[in-house]
Amino acid sequence: MPEYGPFEMIAYTGSRVLEDDTIVFVGTGLPIIASMHAQLTHAPNLNLIFEAGSLAAILEQGMPLSVGDTRAFRKAVFAKGLCGVFELTQRGYSDYAFIGGAQIDMYGNVGSTIEGGTYSAPNVRFPGSGGAGAMAANCEKTIAIMALEKRRFTQKVDFITSIGFGDGSPDYRKKAGVMGSGPYRVITNQALFGFDEKTRRMMLLEVIPGKTAKDIQELVSFELLISPDLKEMKEPSEADLKLLREECDPDGYFLKRKVK
Amino acid sequence: MKEPTSSLIRSVTNLDYDSIKKREEAPFEYWGPTPYEARKAAVAKKKGLHDKRTTLKEAVAKYIKDGINLGVGGFVNTRVPVAIIHEIIRKGAKDLTLSMQSNSICTELLAGAMILNPDHVSIKRVELAWWGYEVIGIAPLFRYLVTKGMIELDDYTNYGMSARFKAGAMGIPFIPTRDHGGSDMELVNRGKMIECPFTNENVYLVPACYPDVGIVHVPVADMYGNSRIFGALCTCPEIAQAANHCIVTTEQIIPSESIRQYPNLTEIPYAVVDALVEQPFGSYPGACYGYYWFDMPEFLQFRSICDEFRKTGEKGKLQEFYDKYIFGCETFDDFLATRPYKKIKELRLGDKVQPIITT
Repeated sequence: MPEYGPFEMIAYTGSRVLEDDTIVFVGTGLPIIASMHAQLTHAPNLNLIFEAGSLAAILEQGMPLSVGDTRAFRKAVFAKGLCGVFELTQRGYSDYAFIGGAQIDMYGNVGSTIEGGTYSAPNVRFPGSGGAGAMAANCEKTIAIMALEKRRFTQKVDFITSIGFGDGSPDYRKKAGVMGSGPYRVITNQALFGFDEKTRRMMLLEVIPGKTAKDIQELVSFELLISPDLKEMKEPSEADLKLLREECDPDGYFLKRKVK
Repeated sequence: MKEPTSSLIRSVTNLDYDSIKKREEAPFEYWGPTPYEARKAAVAKKKGLHDKRTTLKEAVAKYIKDGINLGVGGFVNTRVPVAIIHEIIRKGAKDLTLSMQSNSICTELLAGAMILNPDHVSIKRVELAWWGYEVIGIAPLFRYLVTKGMIELDDYTNYGMSARFKAGAMGIPFIPTRDHGGSDMELVNRGKMIECPFTNENVYLVPACYPDVGIVHVPVADMYGNSRIFGALCTCPEIAQAANHCIVTTEQIIPSESIRQYPNLTEIPYAVVDALVEQPFGSYPGACYGYYWFDMPEFLQFRSICDEFRKTGEKGKLQEFYDKYIFGCETFDDFLATRPYKKIKELRLGDKVQPIITT
């Protein structure tokens, strides 16, 4: 197998998760790269929403560096503002939310507001919800990209920014007044997770070749469910890596970053 | 007494009890004009088509006062009203409430001014969804002010803030949204969960946001303020129409005949614009679709000065930046003159000449 970096594995896995003939609402960085790769391979009719207001842009000027980048509006079929695309989403036209975050719990609740301390004087303050909270609420399925670390896969998220299955009760999302069906996949460079339909808890679906479910459990603070049909993660081929490196992120803004 | 309607967030939240209680007990107030006051302000305006062109100095002196709610347009690094922010910092404004969905350099510039001299510029509180630089990193001065407890925050999603401005633009007191519920924002922001009187299901209401002054930068406008926007609208039309007063900077003034030729392209109607300033590169170092791409090295440089302050507490370089590029400049053109022509040319090419309609 060819050599690949952790972010290349995340982008490739993100691409695999996206189906053709759908709309994906993307956050900055790896979600854009994953979606571009999917468009170039198995999902030519996958269309992107950028939250500053575009639908189905053609990314012929290169990867947008921001979801408000002028490049994210190139040859779009629809260019409005935040209200325009979030209203489409709330109405039911966004199949996937593709977000990131600082912390996640077993029910897929994601934190990207604070870490430690109190709300008014936190130890660390992150930028805030941005689009993530609204995407996780109202896109149909939520895909989250996370770094696989114990402090990030945590028992309790310090501030729930993006709703998952809450406390796991069957009617949590209904009582919250949100419309999407909720967490769908969590992507890391060493494991792909889904959620158990019955308990709504995070379930290990795939592990990177050479690792075991036990290795992954050691990087997670809560108890994982393990899929009875546990698989190996598919690795990117030479052709996939060429697309990622030359077409999707040629300047290496996201793919060449070092893992902290 | 009936329990207030809510989601099940209390069964899962990790927030400290005091933060929740503080918000629960605080009586609701708009952090700017009430819907009634906003209506009065609109009614009081002269509604004829008048030449709104002025200078930034005059516009800012007239509308920017201490204690106002300032609605900041653009989105992160796109079409952000940087020229207006420079002028606000030169003039000074204390106890500001900032309202926005997502911003980067505009609000960092105000935060830096506050850190250097809080008797000249200060931010009291911010109603927002996001404050950062995306690919470039977190916003150091935002993190500094918040972790030190120096500004009060009210967190919404990007849609939540946009919908709040939209409610303001519609002249209504609140708007229902399908988000915030079930997240910790339900516990700490000023929205409210209710049972919908029609579906009998929970729905989250967010209060309208009416800024005292909205500041937006647009690609083109006619002399009356009718504004056309290409690329992302962001939430600029809503902010402009929600605000009691609106200052618009534009890359280019175009003939009114063009506006009348394509009235469908007008996103901000003249009636809501109080002051219009032709200011090419008014979003620099941010991007403006059809005109220029954003200046990554400039963002990196300013951010690194701010981050150095956050890490060391040394204000020297930050002060130097403001002294040289803001207080040392009479106008935004003076600031732009410090940037080489080659750089400007590069940014124009970086946009790759996105198509726009100016005639």
